[in-house]
Amino acid sequence: MKEITLHLNGEVRRIAVAPHETLLEVLRERLGITTPKSGCGRGDCGACTVLLEGKAVRSCLILAIETDGQRVTTLEGIGEDGPTALQQEFVKRNAFQCGFCASGIVLAASALLKENPQPNEGEIREALAGNLCRCTGYEPIVAAVRAVARRNAGKKRVAKRARS
Amino acid sequence: MNTNKVVGTPSIRVDGLEKVTGAALYADDLPFGPGLLHAVVVESPHAHAKIKSINTSTAEKAPGVVRVVTGRDFPYKFGLYMQDRFIFPQDRVRFVGEQVAAVIAETPEAALRAARLVKVTYEPLAAVLNLADALCKDAVTIHPDLANYERVPWFFPRAGTNIAHWRKTRKGDIEKGFRQADYILEDTYTVPRYAHCPMETHAVTGWFDLSGRLTLWASSQSPYAQRGVMAVALKPFGLSHQDIRIITPYVGGGFGGKAGVSMEIIGAVLAIAMKGRPVRLHWTREQEFKNTSQRQGVVARVKMGVKKDGRITALEHTLHWDAGASAEYGANVVNAVGLSATGPYRIPNVKIDSVCVYTNMPPCGAYRGFGYSEFHFGLESHLTRIAKALGMDPVEIRKVNAIREGDTLAYGAKMNPGNLVEAIDRVAKEIRWGRKEKSGSTRAVGKAVACFWKAPAMPPNASSAAYLKFNEDGSLNLAVSGMEIGQGFLTVMAQIASEVLTVPVSKIRVETPDTDRNAYEWQTVGSHVTWSCGNAVRAAAEEVKAKVLATVARAKKLKAADLYLEAEHVKNRRDKSFALPLREFVIDGIMLADGRYVGGPIHGTGMFMPEFTSALGDPETSQGGHPNVHYTVGAAGLVLEVDKETGKLKVRKVALAADVGQAVNPDLVRGQVVGGMLQGLATALYEDIRYAPDGRLLNPNFTDYKIPTTLDCPDKIVSIMLETPQPDGPFGARGIGEHTMIPAAPTIADALEDAVGIRLKTLPITAEKVALALNGIEYDDVKGDHLGFCFIGRPSDYSFEIG
Amino acid sequence: MTIACTFGYSKPQTVEEALRLLARRVGGGIMPLAGGTDLVAWLRDGAVSPGHLVDLKGLKELRGIRLVKGGLWLGASTTFSEIAESPLVRRHAPILTEAAGMVASVGIRNRATVAGNICSAVPCCDSGPVLLVYDAQLHLATRQGPRTMPVTRWFKGPRATALPKGAILVGILIPTGRHAGAFAKLKRYRGEDLAQASVAVRVDSRGNWQVAYGSVAPTPLRGPKVEKLLKGRKLPEADLIEQAVKIGDTEIAPITDIRGSEVYRRMMVGVMLRRTIQLAARRLAGEGPDYGINILEEEAS
Repeated sequence: MKEITLHLNGEVRRIAVAPHETLLEVLRERLGITTPKSGCGRGDCGACTVLLEGKAVRSCLILAIETDGQRVTTLEGIGEDGPTALQQEFVKRNAFQCGFCASGIVLAASALLKENPQPNEGEIREALAGNLCRCTGYEPIVAAVRAVARRNAGKKRVAKRARS
Repeated sequence: MNTNKVVGTPSIRVDGLEKVTGAALYADDLPFGPGLLHAVVVESPHAHAKIKSINTSTAEKAPGVVRVVTGRDFPYKFGLYMQDRFIFPQDRVRFVGEQVAAVIAETPEAALRAARLVKVTYEPLAAVLNLADALCKDAVTIHPDLANYERVPWFFPRAGTNIAHWRKTRKGDIEKGFRQADYILEDTYTVPRYAHCPMETHAVTGWFDLSGRLTLWASSQSPYAQRGVMAVALKPFGLSHQDIRIITPYVGGGFGGKAGVSMEIIGAVLAIAMKGRPVRLHWTREQEFKNTSQRQGVVARVKMGVKKDGRITALEHTLHWDAGASAEYGANVVNAVGLSATGPYRIPNVKIDSVCVYTNMPPCGAYRGFGYSEFHFGLESHLTRIAKALGMDPVEIRKVNAIREGDTLAYGAKMNPGNLVEAIDRVAKEIRWGRKEKSGSTRAVGKAVACFWKAPAMPPNASSAAYLKFNEDGSLNLAVSGMEIGQGFLTVMAQIASEVLTVPVSKIRVETPDTDRNAYEWQTVGSHVTWSCGNAVRAAAEEVKAKVLATVARAKKLKAADLYLEAEHVKNRRDKSFALPLREFVIDGIMLADGRYVGGPIHGTGMFMPEFTSALGDPETSQGGHPNVHYTVGAAGLVLEVDKETGKLKVRKVALAADVGQAVNPDLVRGQVVGGMLQGLATALYEDIRYAPDGRLLNPNFTDYKIPTTLDCPDKIVSIMLETPQPDGPFGARGIGEHTMIPAAPTIADALEDAVGIRLKTLPITAEKVALALNGIEYDDVKGDHLGFCFIGRPSDYSFEIG
Repeated sequence: MTIACTFGYSKPQTVEEALRLLARRVGGGIMPLAGGTDLVAWLRDGAVSPGHLVDLKGLKELRGIRLVKGGLWLGASTTFSEIAESPLVRRHAPILTEAAGMVASVGIRNRATVAGNICSAVPCCDSGPVLLVYDAQLHLATRQGPRTMPVTRWFKGPRATALPKGAILVGILIPTGRHAGAFAKLKRYRGEDLAQASVAVRVDSRGNWQVAYGSVAPTPLRGPKVEKLLKGRKLPEADLIEQAVKIGDTEIAPITDIRGSEVYRRMMVGVMLRRTIQLAARRLAGEGPDYGINILEEEAS
């Protein structure tokens, strides 16, 4: 066992882990963080997505011990002041059905919008292609991200006009 | 005209915010504290073998292990419709992956390590891995004791064979029908097994407390059915319904795979073995594929006779289903198809044989579509081929034969309302049927239209109940036991209650099931809960409304008949100024002038049972019963692009029209259309289950069993809702959840033929099969042993004799 | 979905320390850990059960993408996402950009490394054919000192490489120079998939061609006969391409497995050769779509 330090959702968490424990297991079983879900155990489905140093990764394929000293964000850690614009858009469009894939998709889409505030549909679909959803056919999910992207574009135009 | 205010509007889902914030909890998310034990099962490596011995002594001594359990501890069978499934196998294993023992330990790792130390010795038996072997004259019988299995009265197993059930439907004079025909086409279609692939795998935590009460937290579509099955199977422990409690939080997708009981019963007995401590069992993705239920594979022989004008004179439809090692649920799929394999067509002379066959493959059961996707593939392909042979428009032949309200069904009952002809016309128009699309140098484009129908398959006494109560702020709690498996059930129930009581959907909390607290529901299957539970909720809401109005009438000395609800107030038709807010009295009552109060906490209940149904038709003809409550009919049109070099198929457009009676929430109906269609297209195009020649599943994972991603969607999906009301449905509604995936496979096969002239009769229609066919190569000639098999040999090898 | 085996873990900060750790004798053996996207899955499956893991992500020498003398340097811990997004890679090794965008999914690409991909050395690895057409040089650190190895000598069999025991792959050097190319990957659908077969081609401004195949032999491999046939032809005409397709079929040895039959793989290698050669020639002429498409999913003309 080795004690590691995680910067988890803005808090410093210290925990002793064995090398064979995955980040997903440590989050779920030891730290009470249940939004990353176990869906396949081999990186195929994206249900266990977390942000590691801001990047969407598969917590089932990462050993907890590898993340010592790093920043880990789960769905619990976003939207501290209430649901984000993206989350609100997902709600408004009835974007999820069973919801099991939701935390992975919200995180993957949030990471995309942070890196690229105005993704086009192709970029959205590419960014979410590793997050499997069996229910929705993806249509309302992609539409919600597009709506936020369009609004971001609008904001940028307004900001530009204000500057000029 | 729709005068409703809430029913028929696209309400926001009541579970939406919970799901996007992560507040929604699923079975494996619940905390049980440090006392929680973890279980791992030991699986059979053989498809069929005698169990010679099981040695658990090394495993029992391994660190962290608390107990090892085998079939000796729990020698019991279970099953929803037929008790042919073993909690742990007794003398023999019947499929690769079957649970032979379970290790309970303090940590998952300890359980996993110790499971590898359980030593089981087997004597391999001849394995029955395909239908031909299962049905041959000297077939190895997989269930020698079949004659003594408990079952429902509408199943007809054949003792001494591998036939678990045989549904026969006979209408008219089949020989005469073929004599009247100007053209007859006969051919065989095969549909392999498929896996449900909910994103959440099965999970259960069982706790047998010190008082002897068994509570299970399960990922399930059927909490009450589970309690019922367990009350029967666990009777030897003195348990009855009152001692078993099933709690089901949100479920991460079901698609039929979480209907009935599969691994949950293992969780139950492990808890019994560890009285006082909770025990958790969580299936891996691999186990989810191997040891829950799969969709049955089928070989379907279709013989159809038609007049020159396209009218069908006779249909002989013979289906042999690979049920796997247990048919306790799958046989009811077979039964449903045996009653409905005419498709949505008026056919005077019908002979259907739907035969459920045991094999040494993983057990099968309910899967979205319940057998209808499977038989529509052959039937609809066949109809298009016949139209082409007659020189007739494939759309026209469907309209000529389309079923209408009042027509006599194959089993003698009358067809319910539904506008199939309009559905056909609407989708044909939407895809510009008849207009040739431009093709590129390596691409060709084809179109197709196919019809579908489906009825819920339920026991005649499948019923629903609802409990509705007010809170002090005028909000409501609605306790039902239908499952929110993603379809939006909770939202739709809230909308129905809201419509009656004028309380906004956002102020109605609909609770997920707890069999000790929530009202009864048979199961959440068959696309029937909007209809069935919706009726119960409406009745409960009407009861609440009556109590509300009666309370006000009594307190205010008014006539209840003059009072009505509007925007959370009681109003009076005779006094426009009268408006009493619900929140002021629904709990605390109304104070009279003398300071006394009248009223009390207002709540209501409702129940619903389709009292007109009966499963007791004649076993030889199925005539005389009324097994189905109603059918939802519809049609789909599809535009397909084919890359002639690679065989890759791209769906440019799909239009699906269904007569939903009344769309309670059009947005959620569209969700079913888009999601169901994509699931259907996946089974048609690339989901491709593979077994090794020894019965091992070769692709129990998403690496090699491909389910669609964001990049695999049709360019456009058009959802068309027709609304011919269902007279006995809540506000006229009928089901739509499963139907949307049914037309996918036949439209792909037909559009492919339309584009490039090749006809594929075996699913899935992969790029590989298309490319080979375009080069004149038969897939069966090149697939090789390594590819595994869904059916050994070719469709033409399966010409079964029907006795 | 637990990992049943136990092992030790260290995360060295220098290459010397890493080499020292890798040279130790540990029951079960020692394995290096990079992105872990293959290794952790193998640990869970029980396919490997090492006694100790040496995490290479602490090594600064393994980081970064930069131009150096002799070409484009990719540190071994460069992820596929970093490659896909790098303007330097797009400019100097655009075929790698094209391939990186087709590797698994974003969540994997954010973690998986190109070096790990060729160290895992599964026959379907996407970077194999691309590095082969680039004649990449692999830079290794060994206890005896640094050494280099052409990638053409790297692949020894399924999951087997020429990496000496205890050595570390430090980085990959891709020679630069004006060229064009294309990468095609046959998948069972448009979403994430392992290659059923893949083809990479590269052509330089003098009409020298490099061709390589993936998933159609125990290792990724070059296609010298097709290269010879096309030599000197910057714009091969249709007849020549058809000849290349025929000859290409003699260079591969695909098998039938659950991902595809031998016949289909052969047919599709032909289609991929035709389309990638045409696309590379157009790109060399300054036409054609930007890098980052899958020519099997797009209209060829």
